[in-house]
Amino acid sequence: MFRRKRKLEDFSAEIEAHLELEIERLQEQGLSEEDARAAARRAFGNITQVKEYFYESGRWLWWDHLLQDVRFGLRMLAKSPGFAALAVLIMALGIGANTAVFSVVNAVLLKPLAYRDPGRIVTLSNFSRTGEAATALSKAVSIPDVQDWHDQSSSFEAMAYYSSGEAAVMSGSSAEYARVTRVSPEFLRVFAIAPILGRFFTAEEMKPGAGGAVLLSYAYWQSHFSGDRGALGQTIRVSGPQPIVGVLPPGFGFPNKTDLWVPLISDSPPRSWQSFLAIARLKPGVSVEPAQTELTLIARRLEQQYPETNKGRTVALTGMRDDMVGDVRPTLYLLLGAVSVVLLIACANTATLLLAKATARTREVAVRVALGASRQRIVRQLVTESLLLALVAGVSGLLLAYGGSKVLVALAPADVPRLADSGVDRWVLAFTLGISMITSLLFGLVPALYASRADLNDALKLGGTRSVMGGRMVRMRGVLVVAEIAFAVVLVSGAGLLIKSFVALHNVALGFRPENVLVMRATAPGPLSEAITHARQFFRSMLSEVARLPGVLAAGATMAPPGNVDSTGFYFVDHMPAQPDPNAPAVILNIVTPGTFAALGIPLKNGRDFDDSDTFDRPFVAVVNEALVRQSFPNQNPLGRTIFCPFDSDKGMTIIGVVGDVRQRGPAKEPLPECYMTYGQHAFNGATLSMVLRTAGDPNTLADTVRWVAREKSPDVPMKFTTMESIVSENVAAPRFRTLLLAIFAGLALCLALAGVYGVMAYAVGQRSKEIGVRMALGASSGSVLRLVLGQGMILTVIGLSLGLASAIATARLLTTMLFRVQPGDPMVYLTVTVLLGVVALLATYVPARRASSIDPLATLRQE
Amino acid sequence: MSTQEARERLELLQGTLDLLILRTLIFGSQHGQGIARAIQQTSRGELLVEHGALYPALQRLEERGWIFAKWGTSSNNRKARFYSLTPAGRKQLAKETTKWKRLATAITRILGSEAEGS
Repeated sequence: MFRRKRKLEDFSAEIEAHLELEIERLQEQGLSEEDARAAARRAFGNITQVKEYFYESGRWLWWDHLLQDVRFGLRMLAKSPGFAALAVLIMALGIGANTAVFSVVNAVLLKPLAYRDPGRIVTLSNFSRTGEAATALSKAVSIPDVQDWHDQSSSFEAMAYYSSGEAAVMSGSSAEYARVTRVSPEFLRVFAIAPILGRFFTAEEMKPGAGGAVLLSYAYWQSHFSGDRGALGQTIRVSGPQPIVGVLPPGFGFPNKTDLWVPLISDSPPRSWQSFLAIARLKPGVSVEPAQTELTLIARRLEQQYPETNKGRTVALTGMRDDMVGDVRPTLYLLLGAVSVVLLIACANTATLLLAKATARTREVAVRVALGASRQRIVRQLVTESLLLALVAGVSGLLLAYGGSKVLVALAPADVPRLADSGVDRWVLAFTLGISMITSLLFGLVPALYASRADLNDALKLGGTRSVMGGRMVRMRGVLVVAEIAFAVVLVSGAGLLIKSFVALHNVALGFRPENVLVMRATAPGPLSEAITHARQFFRSMLSEVARLPGVLAAGATMAPPGNVDSTGFYFVDHMPAQPDPNAPAVILNIVTPGTFAALGIPLKNGRDFDDSDTFDRPFVAVVNEALVRQSFPNQNPLGRTIFCPFDSDKGMTIIGVVGDVRQRGPAKEPLPECYMTYGQHAFNGATLSMVLRTAGDPNTLADTVRWVAREKSPDVPMKFTTMESIVSENVAAPRFRTLLLAIFAGLALCLALAGVYGVMAYAVGQRSKEIGVRMALGASSGSVLRLVLGQGMILTVIGLSLGLASAIATARLLTTMLFRVQPGDPMVYLTVTVLLGVVALLATYVPARRASSIDPLATLRQE
Repeated sequence: MSTQEARERLELLQGTLDLLILRTLIFGSQHGQGIARAIQQTSRGELLVEHGALYPALQRLEERGWIFAKWGTSSNNRKARFYSLTPAGRKQLAKETTKWKRLATAITRILGSEAEGS
């Protein structure tokens, strides 16, 4: 772009040659040298002008002007540092907030997954065509189904199933929790990776009865074996000692930062056992749709072949990234939308600042126009100035974003995938640069166009003390302020809806009392058969001991504390059908020890709790919740009736008690029917339980004592402590995150709008001080002046409010899925927002109005 | 202000002057002074071209790729920059000539019989 074909010297030489040729010719015609020279010059015209034209037609000029504009712009900004600092601060806030949110969006939604050809990795999940609650609870699949999909399809390069969980792993004499994933033979081929050390499991090792084998994650290898190659061949105790056969590449930890992978061995698993997750890699060139079509056909065949297990079920294929970020996507888009509205407000604000500045510079612009500057040149100069502002703001914004994205990551729910990857990379840099440029045009162009249209004569005549463009400028600023108010209303309304819904979420009756409950999850290590016995002894003696600790009011243990669902199944009342019925009602299954309901504060509505006499050799008993009673025993007494939950046992259980409903899946979800069984008669929780202790004071202070008691008993049992309150809080982490952020953005918007209203009113009062002085001299009272100015401000406010409310109500529908017990059109929210914005705008107008009403008419008139 | 005026004047001349330059070069390469003289001579002195206006026009035509230039020696052994038509320039000349002729015919028709005499 900056290439110039010809140098000015060359051009000059050509002109010189022309003149010489012409002189020679004229001399040949008989003129004297002197006359010939003069005539040649006359014929040529203005040499300087021609050279100037040549220079200006060159492409360097663009660059020259830019440098000139930049230099001039920097000088102008340096001359009014207060203005520059304010504008930079406002824009830096806007750009910084946008960059921070974008860096998270980029990491979570946009960056490709760090696997080879990540677009080809898909998840396969069960999909109930009837949409029944039981199957909708989980997308887990059964092994025979996956095997049939695998064998009958041709779209996939590899297909695997796995199951993942926390397990007790022995290292040395004590045990700790590690994430262990059991995988099928093609697992690594799905990700197209191979161990960096050692090998994958052999076919022998994947067979029932094999001696076991373990693959380590790179991180686990580093932290537990210091990256020693000698780790290969050593044994590690994951339910029994197993040899380490390999280490996977750094960064790989699918799923959920797995530490250890072991072979998934299952001897002829039933088709009804849907407890596994499936993933696959598409063949190159095969897209999701044909693969989905193929699988749908296979699933339909399986439905006909195995109606008792597969009726109504099909399989759904989802790209892996979509599967990972499905829940987070709407929240992130919401934040991106909100934060860009903040940016628009910041732009409007800066534009009003620049308009004021442009008015003050009318005379400067007029002088430059008088000296021959073209309008385009003036506009370019002013836009360069805003570009400079925006770039400085962009760099400051980037610094803000650097801190801001850390705060975002800290505030975000823990289960947001890939959040830790967010940071400033080249995409984020490009984004910041891009929005800086765009915003500079947004806030800079209008003032520049206005300034350049100044009427030369008037501007020069007035001498720049007061602008003739005042009226038009005030109108333009009015428009900007209306926009600011409207945008602020949209954000504040959205935040209001989310806040109201979060409060509702917080106030929802959970069905238990979460305060002052310590939760201790523990797992006995070793092969399952031994571990179950070990766990039974451990929990029994722990419960009897901790119940005697001072400060413990009640103690129990449960497979799934409220907020978690461990197992779901079907139930039958009175008798078990000979054929399994796929349309049986769904139920959440839980195992508890006696005393658990008391410890959690779940009210016993009818009958009795389990007690220590409910053992394996006694009649089986069950406690159900009110939702189950409502569903299966309307207006009947459920006590004494028999319920069948064919999960670990087909034995019928006598219902001995009814407890209140608990929101098992977090505060936002309605309670489902639940059947509690007693630990004395069931063991499908394996070697893991969560002890729940109701304490007199802060439950956290008791954790160390409980840990000490547990270590005394069994040093090899790993434990994790938390409180019921933090489990509940994790359950509402996503709504809290978006509510908090939207509230912050709304606050920011409100402040900017406030500043905007104040600025435009103060400016208008300044412009009209003479007029007001005259009015007062003619007998207007200070009260009527106050009303005049307030009225003007209120007109802007009312227009902004109405536009804002209309857009807010229109956009609130987008929030519907995020609202809890609040309608998008909630009148209270909009009323509150209207009053809030109205009061804020009134305050912002009152100060300048007050100043106007105290104008001394004599002083104003004397100024002239 | 002066630059602006000059630019306007050049723009006014641009189309015509460009055509005349291209037309002149059809007989072979020529330097700026030669072109100026040729235009003056072939128009029998009716067209007075300010020599200075020629150079921006030549520069423009060169940038558009219609003519190309080379430093050479004139008949009386002076260094001069010689311009020649490119194939694109030839095409442009044909186009411009047709356009010009149509314009001239149209104007002649409007002006009527008085104009026809000349």
